[in-house]
Amino acid sequence: MTDIVQRSRQDRSASLAILVGATIVAALVAIATFAPFLAPYDAMKMAAGPRLSAPSATHLFGTDEFGRDLFSRILLGARLSLGIGIAAVMSGLLVGALLGLIAAFSSRYVEIAVLRLIDVLYSFPDTLIALTLVAFLGPGMENATLAIAASLVPFYARVTYALSAGERAKPYVEAARLTGIGSTRLVRVHVMPNIGHSMIVMATIGFSSAILSAAGLSFLGLGVQPPSPEWGAILASGRNYITKAPWILIFPGLALCVTVLSFNLIGDSSRELFDPRRGRR
Amino acid sequence: MLYLVSRKVLLALFTVLVVIILSGFLIHVVPGDPVTTMMARSVTASPEAIAEIRQRLGLDLPVWRQVGLYVWRVFQGDLGTTVRGNEPVLTLLMQRLPNTFMLAVAGLVVALLIGIPLGFLAAVNRGRLADTAVMVVAVFGVSVPTFWLGLIMIQVFAVKLGLLPVAGSGWRNIILPALTLGLTHCALVARMTRSALVEVLGEDYIRTARARGLREHQVLLVHALRPALISIVTVVGLLFAYLLGGQVIVENVFSWNGIGRLAVQAMLERDYPMIQGFIVVFATSVVVVSTLIDVLYSFLDPRTRMQ
Amino acid sequence: MLNPPYLQVRDLSVSFPGKDADFKAVDNVSFDLAQGEILALVGESGGGKSVTSLSIMKLLPEASQLAGKISINGIDIAKKDRRSMENVRGAKVGMIFQEPMTSLNPVLTIARQMTEGLRRHMSLSKKEAAEVAKASLLDLGITDPDRIMAQYPHQLSGGMRQRVMIAAAIALKPAILIADEPTTALDVTVQAHVLDLLVDLKSQRGTGILLITHDIAVVAETADRVAMMRNGRIVEMGSVEEVLNAPKHEYTKALLASHLSVEAGLKIRTGGSGRRAQ
Repeated sequence: MTDIVQRSRQDRSASLAILVGATIVAALVAIATFAPFLAPYDAMKMAAGPRLSAPSATHLFGTDEFGRDLFSRILLGARLSLGIGIAAVMSGLLVGALLGLIAAFSSRYVEIAVLRLIDVLYSFPDTLIALTLVAFLGPGMENATLAIAASLVPFYARVTYALSAGERAKPYVEAARLTGIGSTRLVRVHVMPNIGHSMIVMATIGFSSAILSAAGLSFLGLGVQPPSPEWGAILASGRNYITKAPWILIFPGLALCVTVLSFNLIGDSSRELFDPRRGRR
Repeated sequence: MLYLVSRKVLLALFTVLVVIILSGFLIHVVPGDPVTTMMARSVTASPEAIAEIRQRLGLDLPVWRQVGLYVWRVFQGDLGTTVRGNEPVLTLLMQRLPNTFMLAVAGLVVALLIGIPLGFLAAVNRGRLADTAVMVVAVFGVSVPTFWLGLIMIQVFAVKLGLLPVAGSGWRNIILPALTLGLTHCALVARMTRSALVEVLGEDYIRTARARGLREHQVLLVHALRPALISIVTVVGLLFAYLLGGQVIVENVFSWNGIGRLAVQAMLERDYPMIQGFIVVFATSVVVVSTLIDVLYSFLDPRTRMQ
Repeated sequence: MLNPPYLQVRDLSVSFPGKDADFKAVDNVSFDLAQGEILALVGESGGGKSVTSLSIMKLLPEASQLAGKISINGIDIAKKDRRSMENVRGAKVGMIFQEPMTSLNPVLTIARQMTEGLRRHMSLSKKEAAEVAKASLLDLGITDPDRIMAQYPHQLSGGMRQRVMIAAAIALKPAILIADEPTTALDVTVQAHVLDLLVDLKSQRGTGILLITHDIAVVAETADRVAMMRNGRIVEMGSVEEVLNAPKHEYTKALLASHLSVEAGLKIRTGGSGRRAQ
């Protein structure tokens, strides 16, 4: 009974959260797209200003140890983070969803085998999986993206499987099967539309994970290599100058926080709003 | 009960086996020739040395045989030797494993000590300001990159305030990294505590307890918290895995002498046997701890204990 | 009715906020309950009976809006803060619930759940409380109370759990007991036993009982007075003989018509065959 009142209050804050998150994401996408135009300086140009100078009117975020303008570098870093995020999420989602669907709509043996494998991988944090893969693939942006995509596959596979299994039990699937429909067509025409919106929510959740992994990999020196202005890489190279120039520590980290936060807001709140268990209490 | 436990143990063994196989296989992921890439930084890169290593690692064999060889060796406790100094991988890792565990446990304790009361606060004040505040803080917490938080902590506490030492592995040094780990992961704990408690508070037996005239704090702490805590135990296993994962980076930031730091160094040096060894040891640790916690859970809940 | 009413409910209305309009669960309900009598509150599920009983205990969720006056032992409970209400619950007004399956805490022993109320209200030591609990269980006809007290709820049958709940409630010796559908989830033999128990409570201990039920046969067998509730309102109220023999309201008539065992129940009651004799 109280739940009805609280539900509407919760719904309102969840909707607000999604709005805030989406706005920030939109701003980020805009920044990433127009970064080269927005940046006051060339992000790679050394000695654009005095080395390690504090934030000022000419250099909004200050300069780094090579005299590069930090603001410009962070703007371009947005491109890298979002680019890697999109690429990784899309490929990971594709492969993962495929696996999940295969598991849900194939024979029992295939289902068990695939599930077991996925579960083993799922029990490990995805950043670590990405790190391990990159260790063998070698550093660099492309390898990092590939590794992150692979690390997201178990998550997406599992989610897709769970959603599909839920749909599988529903009457409309049974009805469709009775008409003799093949599994591929069944999935494509009937199941996919129904799980589509949940998948979108899952995509946003994977996004924040991908961006954090990318930053972590670059920070350790195994992802995007300097002098590329990936936020994690900036933090790594500026690490020794943190005492003298704390802005090198603050701004890339803030950028990461804000980006990840916005995706989390969207993902979490969407999950709350579209929670299938809502009707329960 | 025994049946349940043996099932979990079997699952654990299966998981470790799969990881070992995957680890053995990973060396083939390397674009180009793994041995030359490995030896690229080594001084003794003569053709004879390269051939010798290639043979030792079984890389001249077909893939499935090489993987089989690797798995067989692992079962015998041989995780290979490092490229750099030819030291046994297993020994190096085992030397540092206690450090890693120490930090992980410390981080876990911090996460629980901060997370559970926060989640409790949120659940009890459900729908009100405290609840929203805690949940907002939780979302922020999950969004902060661990390594960034670590750097900030170093900057603030060690450098500026001079309170705690910057790097090293003594007991004093554990505070900052443990705090970093704990703070990053307390959000998850808070959320789980909150939802577990909210679920429990909606149960009939809470109503009975109140109807008996028990003081509200008795109802909350005895009747509500206990079943909720039992649910939380299930999360601790997962939390531990996440913690250890995040620890790889934290060990690096704080120069903590654990297996994570060793692993990252190996990755930078392309020391593949070491990386493989790390994967195996890491996975085994996670699986062992998770299984233990799972079994513990079965004991805590009277309903499963009696079966 | 020899005693002045211990419980007085006057013009009680309870509503819950809904999406479009407020839902009125209880609408202007008034009744009295004295010690030493059984008042049955009859109606279908959703009719407002449970909400009424929860209002008396002040156990309604926060979002509810309450109007009217409820007095316990002469004091208006609206004036009571949480702490004083906690003193009333259990000790002055006891309550037993419908679902024995879910109404006991699964992770605490029976002993713990029975003694905590005793220790709280009567300041007994652990040992003393255990003794009182044991005696209460024996009163209910449970022959091996020690074994039962050491167990967890899931190890007991539904009937046993209900008996434990009742034992726990009456061990506190409340002046009034609210029994919310105490027999609905039990099988017939245990039902009879529990009903006997309630009647004994009334006659031997002088407890006033508010018996909530949808089963009119139970009313006929057990209650002194009855109030028929429909859609949150009391449509008819009086002594059991009056209401069941000469129903005035449509609802009462309809309910009686659908129950064949009412007559049998009345016979047992007024025939003085000893089981339910007053």
